[in-house]
Amino acid sequence: MSKAAASSPSGWLNRKTLVYITVAVVVIAVGLAIHFANTGAISNAAQTVNPDATKIKVGSTAPTFSITSNAGPFDLASVNTPVFLEVFASWCPHCQHEVPIVDALAKQYAGRVAFIGVSGSPYGIDGSSPENQADINEWVQKLNVTYPIAFDPDLKIANEYLQGGYPTIVMIDSNKVVRYVNSGELTPPELQTALNGILSSHS
Amino acid sequence: MIARIVLVLRLALGGVFLAAGALKVGHADVFASEIAGFQILPHPLIAPLALLLPFLELMIGAYLVLGLFTRFAAWFAAAEMALFSVAIASAVMRGISTSCGCFGPSDKATTSWPEVGRDLGLTLVSVIIAWKAPGALALDRRMESHE
Repeated sequence: MSKAAASSPSGWLNRKTLVYITVAVVVIAVGLAIHFANTGAISNAAQTVNPDATKIKVGSTAPTFSITSNAGPFDLASVNTPVFLEVFASWCPHCQHEVPIVDALAKQYAGRVAFIGVSGSPYGIDGSSPENQADINEWVQKLNVTYPIAFDPDLKIANEYLQGGYPTIVMIDSNKVVRYVNSGELTPPELQTALNGILSSHS
Repeated sequence: MIARIVLVLRLALGGVFLAAGALKVGHADVFASEIAGFQILPHPLIAPLALLLPFLELMIGAYLVLGLFTRFAAWFAAAEMALFSVAIASAVMRGISTSCGCFGPSDKATTSWPEVGRDLGLTLVSVIIAWKAPGALALDRRMESHE
């Protein structure tokens, strides 16, 4: 650096100093990111996806399950209509955004498709404490969920059906064949197209 | 003329980075779940990246707007946009429809080819800035003139 730089309008804030400041800030940021990476919600969110959860595929036979929801027992084997299964996490914002969409579909397809939402995360609504029935009750109440919702403490259904992240939506036809699997915030037209395709193949 | 074009590109790209970073800050949990949805990175890397990337985007955005370390900032932006393009294209090809999370939790866009195109466009803009850096009204020029 020349003498001119030292007496420049920039003063001490020359290029070399700015490089040092940048490097120092980045190093501190990396350190803080590594330190805070293990905190509850962030760490849980990072484990949204089970990379081994690729058991079900479109065209495969749906693994059987039965669970008790807030609307009563739900047994896949004894349901005669197609099934719309949503695996959600109560702390997951995408799942919260998806609720009104699924709720509207449940009303639109009432009597023709059986809807059920199942909890699929070990962590509760705060993202860090263990999931319990109270979290699910709060989820139903807070979001005015009207379709059946079940708490699955053993995550048996999530272990079979969760793919790609929360929420995972799976559609199963009345022959118990998986006809649709997708995750994330899915749009009403996409879900309606899939449901209509399943229903039309049954008629 | 070219210096002014670079200035406009710098302000536009810097604005995109500032917005992308600002909308993600404070929502690392959402961003982490979105990164996880791509099923590319190993789990131990996801949470640190979700915390760090918004901060880096804010820094790069500020540098681009100010024209400070312009070439470095533009190459970083180009690398990030190119990586995002590859990640989104990979998700689309694997049939994964997940929220891209590019602009924070309110960004509901899901992985799709138009998203890949947008990120490739931003990669191109970044490369042009890096190539013709620093452009007009850049702190880099001011500091060069004093060194």
